[in-house]
Amino acid sequence: MKKIIQLTINGGPVEAAVSPNQTLVQFLRDDLGLTGTKHGCGLGDCGACTVILDGKAVNSCLVLAVQANGSDVLTIEGLAENGNLHPLQQAFVNKGAIQCGFCTPGMILSAKALLDEKPNPTEPEIRTAISGNLCRCTGYQKIVEAIGEAANVIRGREEL
Amino acid sequence: MLLPKFEYFEPTTLEEALRLLSELGGNARVLAGGTDLLVRMKLKVERPSQLISLRKVPGLSAIIPRDNHGVTIGPAATAADLSKNELICDRFTPIALAAGRLGAPVIRNRATIGGNLVNARPAADLPPACMVLDATLKLKSTHGEREIPVGEFFRGPGETVIEPNELLVSLFVETPAPWSGGAYIKLGARKTLEISMVNVAVLLTLQEPQGLIVDAKIALGAVAPTPVRAFAAEEFLIGRQPSEKVFAEAGAIGVGLCQPITDHRGTMEYRCLMIETLTSRALKQAHERALGWKP
Repeated sequence: MKKIIQLTINGGPVEAAVSPNQTLVQFLRDDLGLTGTKHGCGLGDCGACTVILDGKAVNSCLVLAVQANGSDVLTIEGLAENGNLHPLQQAFVNKGAIQCGFCTPGMILSAKALLDEKPNPTEPEIRTAISGNLCRCTGYQKIVEAIGEAANVIRGREEL
Repeated sequence: MLLPKFEYFEPTTLEEALRLLSELGGNARVLAGGTDLLVRMKLKVERPSQLISLRKVPGLSAIIPRDNHGVTIGPAATAADLSKNELICDRFTPIALAAGRLGAPVIRNRATIGGNLVNARPAADLPPACMVLDATLKLKSTHGEREIPVGEFFRGPGETVIEPNELLVSLFVETPAPWSGGAYIKLGARKTLEISMVNVAVLLTLQEPQGLIVDAKIALGAVAPTPVRAFAAEEFLIGRQPSEKVFAEAGAIGVGLCQPITDHRGTMEYRCLMIETLTSRALKQAHERALGWKP
């Protein structure tokens, strides 16, 4: 039997009926058309489905949609503001931290959760923060650099 | 990877959760963080017909200091909470370190200590840490409650003494004596998202700074069907002056107690060598922390 859930997604209210065995990533992609969140391994190994759930980066393939009832969800679609890319997105573009792009939404959301908690992370902290996100193209170095650059940009903005 | 169908329950009180557990019988499973259970369901290793979610049951994720004599940890406390909690890091170090090595940040934000214990995987991170701290587990059902020392909790891979109608409702850990220090070392082929090849938790207590060892606890994971305490190595250490030589000898004794297997993660021979090395290394780290103990 379907259950009604009410939650906030990318700042807006959403109400929907979901099956208990539907995961959050399936709900986001199949029901809401938010296909920025990728469905990778489905087992919590690759991190492609990472979203921010109530302030914390999680694998949305290991969260039931019903478990997100009443929660606040941020996906890659919710990062840009007024048509401008988020500093993390811009830094990934600038540094060439994107190749095939499949891991990118998850990488950026893991990085966002880190910067929300630690605006000035060390390189080991950056590497730990994205350690649950696999990338098979870039070798991670440019991703780490992009996150460092985005941190500088965000801190610079806040100082203004 | 799709989940098979199941019925979903979201009790809002502990009483309701226990009643559901008792009424639904053996084919219902408790859903906490879901990082293990949902994976096992997707892989069709487990096929529960009902899931009882704990997310609406109040108070289960609390970490509550009990004056100076201990801490009560809710079973739904996440690995991330435990690894960052100041009290846990300071006084119950092996739990904080083991929680910080479990999975990856995205997993730690969901995975719970209760789930890690109840799933009883031989290579799990938190069981050895709870064992060296002599945690007591409180199990509750509609019929009553009982307390089990964590050392008597595990029966085999995936098996514990918990009955189908029982819920792990809290853990209590007594604060280690002054001049105690803890350590946890996990060995795998990579740093994160790894299942241990061998893991070692240690708690060492000194009589005074620079003094003799008055208490030692060593627990090893992934070396036997359940995590095991290395009692003979502990007894060897008690009453001795800490030194690298003594720690190395304790490591050698520890190996004798294990029955590691050869699998794709490592051979039996390699595991034995690593038990010895990691035990003595963990003792050294615990000793350094004991020397730095602050009231």
